[in-house]
Amino acid sequence: MSSSLWGTAFAVAAKDLKIEWRTKTAFASSLVFAVLVLAIFYFSRDSTVVSELDIAPAAIWVTFTFAAMLGLNRAFLLEQENRAIDGLLLSPVPRTGIFVGKILGNLAFVAVVELVSLPLFSLFFNVPILHVLPSLLGVAAMATIAFVTVGTLLSAMVVRTRFAELMLPILLLPFLVPPIIGAVQITAGILAGRPMSEFAGWLKLLGAFDIAFVTACLLLFEATVEE
Amino acid sequence: MTKRDVALQLLRRGWVLTLGALAGLVIVYTRVAFFTPIESTQGPAQKIFYVHVSSAWASLGAFAVTGILSLLYLWRRDRKLDTVAEASAEVGLMFGVIMLTTGPIWGKVVWGTWWDWDAKLTSTLFLFLLFIGYTVLRGAVADLDTRARFSAVIGVLSLVLVPFIFLSVHMFRTLHPKPPVLRAGGPSMPAAMLITLLFSVFVFSVLYVGFVTLRYALAVLKELRAEEAAHGIS
Amino acid sequence: MTRSEPLLAVADVSRRFGYRKVIEQVSFEVGGGDVLLLIGHNGAGKTTLIRLLAGLLSPNEGTVSRCDSFGVVTHDSMLYDSLSARENLQFYGRLYGRHDADKLDDLLRRVGLHEHADRHVITYSRGMVQRLALARALLPDPDLLLLDEPLTGLDDSASGMVREILSEFRTRNRAVVLTTHQLADVVDLATDVGYMVAGKLTAIEPVEGRDARAVTMRYRELASNV
Repeated sequence: MSSSLWGTAFAVAAKDLKIEWRTKTAFASSLVFAVLVLAIFYFSRDSTVVSELDIAPAAIWVTFTFAAMLGLNRAFLLEQENRAIDGLLLSPVPRTGIFVGKILGNLAFVAVVELVSLPLFSLFFNVPILHVLPSLLGVAAMATIAFVTVGTLLSAMVVRTRFAELMLPILLLPFLVPPIIGAVQITAGILAGRPMSEFAGWLKLLGAFDIAFVTACLLLFEATVEE
Repeated sequence: MTKRDVALQLLRRGWVLTLGALAGLVIVYTRVAFFTPIESTQGPAQKIFYVHVSSAWASLGAFAVTGILSLLYLWRRDRKLDTVAEASAEVGLMFGVIMLTTGPIWGKVVWGTWWDWDAKLTSTLFLFLLFIGYTVLRGAVADLDTRARFSAVIGVLSLVLVPFIFLSVHMFRTLHPKPPVLRAGGPSMPAAMLITLLFSVFVFSVLYVGFVTLRYALAVLKELRAEEAAHGIS
Repeated sequence: MTRSEPLLAVADVSRRFGYRKVIEQVSFEVGGGDVLLLIGHNGAGKTTLIRLLAGLLSPNEGTVSRCDSFGVVTHDSMLYDSLSARENLQFYGRLYGRHDADKLDDLLRRVGLHEHADRHVITYSRGMVQRLALARALLPDPDLLLLDEPLTGLDDSASGMVREILSEFRTRNRAVVLTTHQLADVVDLATDVGYMVAGKLTAIEPVEGRDARAVTMRYRELASNV
């Protein structure tokens, strides 16, 4: 009678995305934010000293992570109204499935923000990306999995406090440092036309980070929702 | 013995340890000031490094303790573990402040730069920020059991994070090398300095244990009082 | 109580929040055909007990064992305001492995929401929300229902629907545990009454034809002895 882990995850993610689609608030805020951040990065450099290519990786990654952070809380916030989270916990589904579902929902959300920001970035900064798109998307995926997983876990705790919007960045930002360092290094290299083989070290770091934190978060989720 | 008696005894022991360590501090730093050789390239200002390294060591130790106790709490669910973890985090935060102020001062006086994004300094900065995050989270949760659980989750995650921060910054620096700033005493440390350093680290460790004991005992006494107050009403 | 395999067994359950003991040493069993009414003044721990029975809280001491198939209705609806009634039930249906669209329609008809099934829950009145919450609880066709003040804010027709469900559970040898302040509305359908005073289950007795007034007096009697 009870669903499998992935069955639950997809059901939860589908429900979340349906609800988000109806309200679209988090999504809209994130997109507007992304455009603003890109613009600020563009204008805040001395164009005689700093080329667009120099500032590009930083601009793209700060945009991705901060715009994403705006939306990470919604996954669990929508379970707070009417205590829907209790309904989920009462059903005969594996709790890990609920967590994975929330991650999938957040990943979809962040992926859309990134996929919209990337062409905007290319447009604003005059940096061609089509020829390196697969590698770029690959790196983006690896880093995004990292911060979305940790962000989703932290949000499960933080939505139950009074200052959810403030607490998530305070807790999450330190966890962004290793994946962002790696992602920026690789992105800079990709945009400069360097082969992927040069980044073996960074890719391994990103991969190890993903594995370590996905595992840790899956194991820790139960502790964030039990009472 | 009642719980209160146990707590009071711990408090006394904590004071003994702390005062002993403070006395030890005076002894060590007298040695530092007058009986340890002055480092050739850096001059007398180098001596601040003894404080810096010792407090960094204490801070790192405190962090590890909080992380391990967090893991244990999630396994055993004994709230005493959480109380000790909290005490350790608070003391670690204090040592962190000392470490982060002495480091830049040393750097500025001796090498001319306040800050250097090398792996060690950066990792210790993030250690400090994680401590702050831990404290802020605790402040935002009212229920005791939920607070213990949430703190433990952050504690464990932070433990997993720090090696990655160190690694990523280290890799970044090997790519973009700058003259290394805050190195110890040079390529090799003469025995006299090493002994002083070890002494200093030892005294700081005892100070850490003393402070944590005191803090823990005070927390227990505070909880006892709150418990009695709650029973008085119901 | 009917002596069959218990659908819910509670043994020496205690629960505290911080330093306050909210539930102390509660024990009882509920079997098929039982409708247990839990009554007590505000703050006696009824809501906490229902959450413990449901498994939303874990006891600090003691054990709770219940049958696999159960439904819960609490103060909060556990529903999604941006979805329609049908979508809410479809979602929960997926979690419970119930995919039959016809059965879902039947359920909506049973709680009187079939006409409004495709409106978003945010447009619903309190009574309609409660009906949907009951539908959600009934979705897995449960053997046990745990209801925390199910009649609050309901009009007569909705109350009638709840009564119908209680009566059906009784005849079909299933069980219900419910808390309520509106004794008069349900006491005739109950088989047993549990009297909660300050977190303790002071007594649990068969109703024996008592009416609301008699039960209230019995409660006062027990409460004054504590």
